[in-house]
Amino acid sequence: MNTARIFGAIVVLSAIAFVLGDYQTDVYRKLLLWVMLALGFNFLFGIAGQLAFSHFAFYGLGAYSIVILLAKMQLPLPLAVVAATVLCAAVALAIAVPATRLQGFYLALATLAFSQLFVVLLNAGGTLTGGTGGLSNYRLPPIFGYRLAGPSYTIVIVLLLVGTFVILQRLDRSWFGRACRALRDNPEAAAAMGVDVARTRILAFVLTSTLAGMAGMAYAFVDNTINPPIFGVENAFLLVFMIIIGGTGSQAGAVIGAILLYLLPFVVGPLIGAHHVLVFGLLVVAVILLEPRGLIGIYESVRARARRAPV
Amino acid sequence: MQDLLELVVSASASGCIYGLVALAYLLMIRPTGIVNFAVGEWSMLGAFGGVVAFADLELPYPVGMAAILAIMFAVGWATERVVVRPLVERGAPELAPLLALMGMLVVFRECVSAAFGPDPQAVPYPLGFGRLAIGPLAGSYQSFFMIAITLAVFAATWLFFERTVWGRAFEAVAINRRAAALMGINLRRVTGLAFAAGGVVAALAGLLVSPNVSAHFLMGLPLAIQGFTALVIGGIGRVEGALLGGLLVAFAEHLTLRYAPIPPGLTLGVPLVLLILFLLVRPTGLLRPREARAL
Repeated sequence: MNTARIFGAIVVLSAIAFVLGDYQTDVYRKLLLWVMLALGFNFLFGIAGQLAFSHFAFYGLGAYSIVILLAKMQLPLPLAVVAATVLCAAVALAIAVPATRLQGFYLALATLAFSQLFVVLLNAGGTLTGGTGGLSNYRLPPIFGYRLAGPSYTIVIVLLLVGTFVILQRLDRSWFGRACRALRDNPEAAAAMGVDVARTRILAFVLTSTLAGMAGMAYAFVDNTINPPIFGVENAFLLVFMIIIGGTGSQAGAVIGAILLYLLPFVVGPLIGAHHVLVFGLLVVAVILLEPRGLIGIYESVRARARRAPV
Repeated sequence: MQDLLELVVSASASGCIYGLVALAYLLMIRPTGIVNFAVGEWSMLGAFGGVVAFADLELPYPVGMAAILAIMFAVGWATERVVVRPLVERGAPELAPLLALMGMLVVFRECVSAAFGPDPQAVPYPLGFGRLAIGPLAGSYQSFFMIAITLAVFAATWLFFERTVWGRAFEAVAINRRAAALMGINLRRVTGLAFAAGGVVAALAGLLVSPNVSAHFLMGLPLAIQGFTALVIGGIGRVEGALLGGLLVAFAEHLTLRYAPIPPGLTLGVPLVLLILFLLVRPTGLLRPREARAL
């Protein structure tokens, strides 16, 4: 993506923030954060091949640590952001070093256990985490005397999202992205080609988990309240479904999947109530059975057919 | 001391449930290598089967139980036929069937929540509610019932694998799918039966535990995790490992809940910590797989 396109995306996504009402702004911000999470998880699962259910727990870790550092420890904002980022990266590293040795579903189960454990700790965390009620009654402190609120805070999220997109796209097209794909498809061959298996896996895990933590930091000030159920395993499943339905390993697919699955409940909610999750489950099974490349795969094959057909 | 003996019975009973769920995983993993995370939901279906058969229709217990297990045999077989087999036969990536089964997990759960609503539903006790004391060991009828049924299931499974030609066919497929197929073993039938048997055993676990905990549409995932922990501890090589793992998980849980000086909320983390530790330190489990040998 060249500079003009990046700039264009920032302008368009930011401009939307100025025309939305309060409720729509709330939905829009959460949508942007979901897309950001999906992009990171797409790199981890779709490109590096690690089915890690911990991604959403890092979202929660980022949110909880920034709030605790700001509100309970009274750190200044820049320092708190740095400290929370370092904390997320350190926890991710501590998990990645042993966990990335596990293959396939064993990694999935170990990280699932970790994210369940995270919720258990949040619930039992007493005054530090606010227990089952979580934390609220905190606000984002002003930066240089300016209080980020309304559209200006949405712009912060837009910048984070576009930054994530650009970083992950650059990485995907670099030697690192190719090393990750090679590892996903055939670890032995990748190792034989000179890819450091352990280091590449750990790096992919730490990097994407830290990005999830940063999205979580932004999330903490969207509702100004955080509690354990938000970061439960349900949303970790939803994230996997977004990637599979959109198209595993494709950035565009991750964006489409996240937008579709986040907005679908708003559209079909009035028709089928809370049973939209059933639709998600059926969609996932259908996609895996019928078009493993997801929606982006359908789009590509339609386009290829249109190009082949005589005009 | 009385306290501890009481705990032994109830911990053994829940250990049996985890062991059954672990056995359901094991039956499917051995021949196919597929970790079916939807077993927890099958247990949940078994529990709701109990609601329909015994609370709504008031069937005699053996009849209702046979009907539930027959239906779950079909559910397990159909799941394999529709979701797993097409993926295996077209050579999809290893994770594809696991992810498809995760999708099915959500489908099963949401269907039950749509049909029965979000509230827990009581399931009657098969033997009524009462206490039984055998020597120093005392516990509820249900606890002893759970232990007896589980022991019978494990004994039957062990005999099946060790003493029947069909069981040896399962083992052969587990050791080498290709060689087994070349020896004339019908892979499709073995895989289909493995999932059907997994459905039956998982449902049995849910049915047995349902009078104690009530049937609830979210009960599947915790059972799936505890069962998987039991499986990882016991190792996937041996049938008895599943029961051993289940008992270890349950005793760890009950003992920390009763005696450890930590807040009760944290005891929920015990199986999770066990799972993480075993996956990292001893992923092959405690029991070594048996050497391959002829019947």
